[in-house]
Amino acid sequence: MISQSLRGKLWKLNGAIGIVSGICIFIGLFLGLVVAPADYYQGEVFRIMYVHVPFAKAALLSYCTLFIGSCLYLWKKDLIVDNLCHASAGVGIFFTSIALITGSIWAKPTWNTWWTWDPRLVSFAILLLILIGYLMLRTFVDDRKREATYAAVLAIIGFVDLPIVYFSVEWWRTLHQPMSISTRGVSIAPGMLMPLIFMVIGISLLFSYMLMIRTQMLYLQHLLEAKQGGLLSEEVL
Amino acid sequence: MPFFDVVKLILWKDVLAEVRSRETISSLFFFALNVILIFSFSFSVGQDVMLALMPGLIWVAFGFTSILGLGKSFLSETHNDCLAYLQIAPVPKGAIYLGKLCGNVLLMLVVEIVLYPLFMIFFNLNILVKIPSVLLISFLATVGLSALGTLFSILTVQLRSREVMFPLLLLPLSVPVFIGAVEATQGALGGEPYFAYRHWVELLFVFDMIITIASFWMFEYILDY
Repeated sequence: MISQSLRGKLWKLNGAIGIVSGICIFIGLFLGLVVAPADYYQGEVFRIMYVHVPFAKAALLSYCTLFIGSCLYLWKKDLIVDNLCHASAGVGIFFTSIALITGSIWAKPTWNTWWTWDPRLVSFAILLLILIGYLMLRTFVDDRKREATYAAVLAIIGFVDLPIVYFSVEWWRTLHQPMSISTRGVSIAPGMLMPLIFMVIGISLLFSYMLMIRTQMLYLQHLLEAKQGGLLSEEVL
Repeated sequence: MPFFDVVKLILWKDVLAEVRSRETISSLFFFALNVILIFSFSFSVGQDVMLALMPGLIWVAFGFTSILGLGKSFLSETHNDCLAYLQIAPVPKGAIYLGKLCGNVLLMLVVEIVLYPLFMIFFNLNILVKIPSVLLISFLATVGLSALGTLFSILTVQLRSREVMFPLLLLPLSVPVFIGAVEATQGALGGEPYFAYRHWVELLFVFDMIITIASFWMFEYILDY
């Protein structure tokens, strides 16, 4: 489905994506950590938002990529799309973990607790568990195509399930006891918003940069395995 | 072969195999009995606290039992290459899923119906007047768990670490079932009117519909891979 020449072009473009991502993150961090004023209520603690929010957005981006890629794989049966899904899950685990950890660090001084049963927190934790289950499932299947199909099925079922998890936890917390901590609905001052925009763009580009490198690695790894096993065919190429 | 004939045949085959061997149902029953006994030793608290804990205990016991039961649902098909025959059978693959799902729901419901009296005896629980709502909740939650469990059973049945992978996949995705079932059971056992916990029953229903349809559609890809 993705031709050799297109892959070559994407690979060349990836270097540029990495550089732009680095520049955006540098500007975002500089504006966010040095230029932006401290928050009136939260003080300096709010600055963790410049890491937390972009990573959370990138984690969602990774799961959307995984879902679309899985649908595409089941439709076209193209193994390089499967490599993309595999890479997306691996990178997604990294982004989800960072989002959860930074969220927890922010929650301790602000909400006075490391963890609370907020729908978004629980959905992210479940997302992390699904992604870990996804990668574990892949390691236990021996056949390459079966591995790809099973993994795609799991990713799609997980994607369908996540909104129900979100709503069930939201009902569970809000209907039984008033939420002790409401999620912030604060409008952000322009001086604080600008670095956030830079960070979101930078981290999203970082995600695509990492995704492309990991996809390329997995592709080459499978190519090598196929060559060693003497199974090289048109299909694998 | 017409779609529903396949569903009926698969269901009939599973029920017949179970009635003849009684392997799964007896192991599930004794496993659940052990879980209930451990619970009754672990929580020696007053009647009021027990009543508050009860819905959680019931659904943890049923959840563990379902891990044991549902994980084995496609294991019998691996003997004598039955799975390969199911793959090449000229029938709609979704029908095989629905047949297996009905068999699993039936098996789990029988185990649950036998276990409720044991909960009544060991925990001094009075559910006789609330039987219709408790049965409705059990049915909906069991369908939800079985819909996911049947799909993951075929996903994991040929894996190296089947016993480990099955609960790892099933438990995170069945969070809505546990929340819905525990909250609805809490409402029913607490003597609340139906409309007070109706939304939980609806949540279970919606979960069942979405997951069953998604799994039904996905099953074809797994068998056809």
